[in-house]
Amino acid sequence: MKKTILLLLLVVAASASLVSAQSRRNLRINEIMVLNDSNYVDDYGRHSAWIELFNTTHAPLNIASVFITNNRDVLNPDLEAGDRKALMYAVPLDDILTKIPKRQHVVFWADGRPTLGTFHTSFTLRPGEENWIGVYDSDGRTLIDSVTIPASLEANHSYARKIDGIDTDENGKKLGAAAWEIRDDSKEFPITPSSCNKIRETNDKIDMFAREDENGFAMAIMAMGIVFTALLLLCVCFYIISKIGERVSTHNRAVSQGTSRAEMPTEKRKEHDSGEAIAAIAMALHEHLDAHDRENTVLTINKVKRAYSPWSSKIYSLRSLPHK
Amino acid sequence: MDFSEFLLNNLEQFWNLTGFHNATWQHFVMLAVGLFFIWLAIKKNFEPMLLVPIGFGMLIGNIPFDTTAGLEVGIYEEGSVLNILYNGVSAGWYPPLIFLGIGAMTDFSALIANPKLMLIGAAAQFGIFGAYMVALLLGFAPDQAGAIAIIGGADGPTAIFLSSKLAPNLMGAIAVSAYSYMALVPVIQPPIMRLFTTKKERLIKMKPARAVSQNEKIIFPIVGMLLTCFVVPSGIPLLGMLFFGNLLRECGVCNRLAKTASNALTDIVTILLGMTVGASTQASEFLTAQTVGIFALGFMAFIIASSSGVLFVKLFNLVLPKAKKINPLIGNAGVSAVPMSARISNNLGLEYDPSNYLLMHAMGPNVAGVIGSAVAAGVLLGFLA
Repeated sequence: MKKTILLLLLVVAASASLVSAQSRRNLRINEIMVLNDSNYVDDYGRHSAWIELFNTTHAPLNIASVFITNNRDVLNPDLEAGDRKALMYAVPLDDILTKIPKRQHVVFWADGRPTLGTFHTSFTLRPGEENWIGVYDSDGRTLIDSVTIPASLEANHSYARKIDGIDTDENGKKLGAAAWEIRDDSKEFPITPSSCNKIRETNDKIDMFAREDENGFAMAIMAMGIVFTALLLLCVCFYIISKIGERVSTHNRAVSQGTSRAEMPTEKRKEHDSGEAIAAIAMALHEHLDAHDRENTVLTINKVKRAYSPWSSKIYSLRSLPHK
Repeated sequence: MDFSEFLLNNLEQFWNLTGFHNATWQHFVMLAVGLFFIWLAIKKNFEPMLLVPIGFGMLIGNIPFDTTAGLEVGIYEEGSVLNILYNGVSAGWYPPLIFLGIGAMTDFSALIANPKLMLIGAAAQFGIFGAYMVALLLGFAPDQAGAIAIIGGADGPTAIFLSSKLAPNLMGAIAVSAYSYMALVPVIQPPIMRLFTTKKERLIKMKPARAVSQNEKIIFPIVGMLLTCFVVPSGIPLLGMLFFGNLLRECGVCNRLAKTASNALTDIVTILLGMTVGASTQASEFLTAQTVGIFALGFMAFIIASSSGVLFVKLFNLVLPKAKKINPLIGNAGVSAVPMSARISNNLGLEYDPSNYLLMHAMGPNVAGVIGSAVAAGVLLGFLA
């Protein structure tokens, strides 16, 4: 019993850590500004480079103990774990702000002053040069996401994903650099620290239905088609299952009678017994056998056992009489 | 300020907090509606398990009070007890629990014995999409139209689940409308069934269903869940719980769980769901022209659903051999008001032929309607969320 409980606990713990690790792998670098002269300001009123991360999942995601770095040396697979971690900024534990709500963003200031708070990294970015940024899982070895920012990125321009968290096309093909664009804070290419890169004012799907399917015919036909398909599938499936069941029971009957299925009589009863026929037979038997008369004189005594429980015992709920 | 003045000020403040001071005519209208629901349930026996909690919830939700006083008593005030209970409705976790109970209560034998009856359950869902088209015509946005149209599925939990996702602001009206029409099924459906059938069709006798083995009953919820959820993953909360409840019932080794799911759990959730849905109909939120539109659309959706079920059976009969014809009186049971609409099929069948019991045949499309409406809700959620 103890072994079973231990095994169960181990399985639960393992699956919990797996779920946590898997969800952290859905973290994405979403937007970066390398040279910030007059853009977003941190809590201390200073302009610094920033890196925006995005939780692509539909569940809160705690990024404590995730590593962020701009040092390409960590790409060396032969590097020891300790040396590797020393090259990266570890997101501190025990800060509730590291829990990113579903489909939300968090901004890290790449100002090289981690003492200013959780969201200030230990490294800075280099303007005018190609910058590489990587996000590693808590083991310091599993690369979650990385991006190379072109050296041509101007001051107060950001390098952002076109659509939040998306790095593949409709067919699942990796887009690479094509998923990114340079933003100059114009109306067409807004810079959006800590908010969505693609601002959705309305639901595209609903807009499309409202525009292209004014009468709702397409929706009705399509949806009814799906409903019919689902139930038709179920119908066909159960037709097949009932046929298989019939064959299996015939086979079992044949085996029990020591014959083969082919030799079993194939003649089927033309109709099932109707309820009326069964009721008539039962009544006739009752009349004929007079089956229930003896029971009238039989007295049955059932032993009723009530399990004792101190929780329901009255003596525990009554106050004792005061001593005189 | 002397003490008498102080007391008077306090009395005035107290008066300002009372229902008498804050009452509007809209509150009295909603209180009257709540009382009407309770009267329908107790006196007319229309779905009392639902209408009593909803009706009393309406009374609770429409006690006038000063909403600016920060009393934290209203259902829409965060942190209030009613608001905490309402979370099951607004976050949509009461309906799947009710579906668990429905699954644990439902015997799918009639459907397994005659799988083609599932198609009637699918056909009746046309009520949903017919109402969707009319709602669009009336100027509702597609997501609102989808939420309103689900009333045609005749399934309260499904209507609440979908409206909480697509149009949370309309949920109170949609839920009350769905439950009201479900209670009025015995009034709405028989005239439609008579209208679309001939006397000869009403006399069709169907063969008794074959006996279904225990193995088939166990396989049904597993295969049913896998198939329907693979087609419509957005229906997982409803379909998953429905089939899970049914597996508890049929597997034979979880009797205690099945009993709890079908009795205690369903009763608890029904009480909370009914009461909070009723309380969510606060006059200020509920008494609008939109609500009238929703009730009209819901009524129409019910009529389309019942009619399309009956007409589909007539159409189906054209391709069926004479010995396997289906009595179109079971077509109305394609809406998922279980087991009310199946009982209506049975009663109407007996009215025309006292030896023609249609109940077990009608239970097939009836439970298929539950699956069908959950699938339809999943489709609408997938398309419009």
